[in-house]
Amino acid sequence: MSRSVAGTGAVLIALGLAVFLAKTLVYEIPLAPTKSLGSWQVELRINVRGEGRRGSVRALLPATGTGQAVFDERSSSDRLDFSIRSTEEARIGVWTGWLEDLHEIVYGFRVQIHNVAISLPAGEIPEPPESVRRKYGQPTPDFPSTTPEVADLLEGLRLPNPLDVAGRIRTVYSFVSHEIATVPSAGKDALLTLAQREGSPEGKERLLVTLLRASGVPARNLRGLELRDGIDPYARIWSEAYAGGNWLPMSTVDDFFAERPPNRVVLGEAASPLVEATGVRAVGHRYRSMHEYLRPEEIADMLAPSNPTLAWLSLYRLPLPSQSSLRVLLLLPIGALFIALFRNVIGIPTYGTFMPVLIALALSGFSLGFGLALVAFVLFLGVLARLGLERLRLLMVPRLSILLCLVVLTVMGLALVGRGNESREWFAGLVLPIVILTMLVERFSITIAEEGFREALVRAACSVLVAVAIYPFFRSERAEYLMFTFPEIVVSLMGFLVLIGGYTGYRVSDLLRFRGFAQQLLGVGGR
Amino acid sequence: MMLDGLRRLGILGINRRNISYTIRCNARRHYPLVDDKLATKRLCERAGIPVPRLLAVARHHFEMRGLLPALESCDSFVLKPARGAMGNGILVVYGSGQKRFVCAGGREVSHDEFLYHASGIISGLYSLAGHMDAAMVEERLQVDVSMADLAPAGVPDIRVIVYRGVPVMAMMRLPTRRSGGRANLHQGAIGVGIDLVTGISNHAVVHSTPIRENPDSGEELVARKIPRFGRVLEIAVAAADETGLGYLGADVVIDAHQGPMILELNARPGLAIQLANGAGLRPRLESVDARLGPLRKNGERYLLSEDRLALGLEIADRAKRDARRRPSPWGSGSR
Repeated sequence: MSRSVAGTGAVLIALGLAVFLAKTLVYEIPLAPTKSLGSWQVELRINVRGEGRRGSVRALLPATGTGQAVFDERSSSDRLDFSIRSTEEARIGVWTGWLEDLHEIVYGFRVQIHNVAISLPAGEIPEPPESVRRKYGQPTPDFPSTTPEVADLLEGLRLPNPLDVAGRIRTVYSFVSHEIATVPSAGKDALLTLAQREGSPEGKERLLVTLLRASGVPARNLRGLELRDGIDPYARIWSEAYAGGNWLPMSTVDDFFAERPPNRVVLGEAASPLVEATGVRAVGHRYRSMHEYLRPEEIADMLAPSNPTLAWLSLYRLPLPSQSSLRVLLLLPIGALFIALFRNVIGIPTYGTFMPVLIALALSGFSLGFGLALVAFVLFLGVLARLGLERLRLLMVPRLSILLCLVVLTVMGLALVGRGNESREWFAGLVLPIVILTMLVERFSITIAEEGFREALVRAACSVLVAVAIYPFFRSERAEYLMFTFPEIVVSLMGFLVLIGGYTGYRVSDLLRFRGFAQQLLGVGGR
Repeated sequence: MMLDGLRRLGILGINRRNISYTIRCNARRHYPLVDDKLATKRLCERAGIPVPRLLAVARHHFEMRGLLPALESCDSFVLKPARGAMGNGILVVYGSGQKRFVCAGGREVSHDEFLYHASGIISGLYSLAGHMDAAMVEERLQVDVSMADLAPAGVPDIRVIVYRGVPVMAMMRLPTRRSGGRANLHQGAIGVGIDLVTGISNHAVVHSTPIRENPDSGEELVARKIPRFGRVLEIAVAAADETGLGYLGADVVIDAHQGPMILELNARPGLAIQLANGAGLRPRLESVDARLGPLRKNGERYLLSEDRLALGLEIADRAKRDARRRPSPWGSGSR
């Protein structure tokens, strides 16, 4: 290795390391993610097409309350005024202004959620205060608790005596939970749900609140989000019943009772919609969420580090979509380092230079077993199709395009087969991998034609082997956190790549190749 | 242990070949001259270096129609991609009949199939990076009888490594049935090391296993005299001078009537030649550097080609004597 190469490599490594050490030692940024369970970052994007007059857009905003702490709220919108209207029922963000053409409103917040579990009050409990009873115990158009149908039903349920509030709540809950079917397309009217014994999630929850109010228990519906890793949050509706001074969360759709799962954030009471607008032609919205690595106080440090340069460089302030792309992007240099090691120091042949990185990326959404099965399946399909096309003697580019069409059709078939539960995420996760693997197919089948099945298989196996070596990094939260929090590591990786690039020593494959030869020439059975 | 052994034998590894030789001595802009066989052919013809005669070329799909008429009068020829690698995509035609050609192994290929193959070549199916390519047809050489005996399964050629214009090592590559008629060692062709000074074969391997006879024919491989070997080295050096590449492998075929001819040139010649010769390249390459001094940029010409030829033989001869003196065990002692 020449001196200039060694020098350049060392300087780059030292540079990255210096920044890294400064950040960890001086500014005490944690080395590993602490990932407390309920730390989330949520972003709401609203797109509005205005009518060319004044109008407003309103959205439910979360508030700090039982089981959740909201912080780092931020909003951006072009040419609109933003204000927050807080009432007892909800916090509502209002954007007003002259609405013309397209407007994009972004509202983001971080939230720390705790599991809420409340033990049911036993025995006699104090009466709910007058204010709660007036507000949440009365019949309303949404909760017609005084109608004869409801009275008839309660008669049939044979509720325990009015003092056993817990018993009454339980009886009503188990009736709605067991006797009413959840049909997403059904209506949301409480009485209709009762009559048909089926309803939409909202219908069931409304019925639950209606029945609770009818049996003397104040109750309400809440709107919120169910946050999930890697996919967009779901908008959910659930209920709360008032007993013994507490609000008891429960859902007859998602099956929880007297507790609230730690991935739910409350946005407000269900009377207000998530997003609504006036004076507009159309409005659409989308929530995104991302699990945080750090505890809230650590995030606060990241958001506003004491050093202004660090603050400016912190990736934690970027919009959510950029953050999630960067989290993946910053892992690629690790893959590249591995490729360099495998190819130039070990000497393993692979398809294409970065194909294994792409394969690893494609597989990172799946378990290893499923991922490998997917590779085998796509290869098998591709080779089969290519053998079939061989007879037609087509030019290369159209032939490759036909292969792509076949893959698209296969993806379509998989989507049809996989429709049903959870298919949305499953499907979305599948598209990119299959397209990447298609590229592998052509190389694989050409190698079969030119150098035989064995060679093709060996090279495919090597590519997959390298991909499998990279795969854990693409799955690791720790690696993701490290690279995202300390992007200067990339500079150090470049230093290592310079060193590998200047390595003139033998590859492991050289050793294997010339081993027998050296032993024979030197006349020793070398150990 | 292993590392030390390879080092003492002076085995050149891939990384060092790339960094110290190909990257250092072969300017990227010269690569097209050797990666494109048509360019190589033009270059050699201009310099009076013998190459197989070009019979027809099709650079685009519409030019393919011209191939068959151009080949009407010839009954044996070779269709190959101009930018192919490792002997891929080569179709050898031995004779022609009614609307069909007879290929290696008596396989018959219709004119349609022949054109389909050419179209695959033009589309870039066999080219290095899948780029568009040209399909070229050149005369099929009649291999010299003494060499043809050695390799019944295909066309044997001689690979000469030329470093800074000095021939440093040579081997004969014999296609076998296992290599599918191709002269690539990693596909199972036989590599036969040649003593540069005498032109006599001294060692033979399949992959890395030493052999004495051709497994296809039983023909003895060692101690065979290569015909017109001096001329082989001469044209290899001449071709190297023309390309401006400091480190290259020249593939030479010895035609029965026309003598040695350059078949193709390679800017990244493989390392298996060391196995075939039972010797490492590094001592010879370093001797060349020691004699010629540090590498200068831009068209270095230090010695006349005859003198460089002589230098190559001298270095090879000394390497041979050094190898004989080498203390056998892995213990002390130095090169």
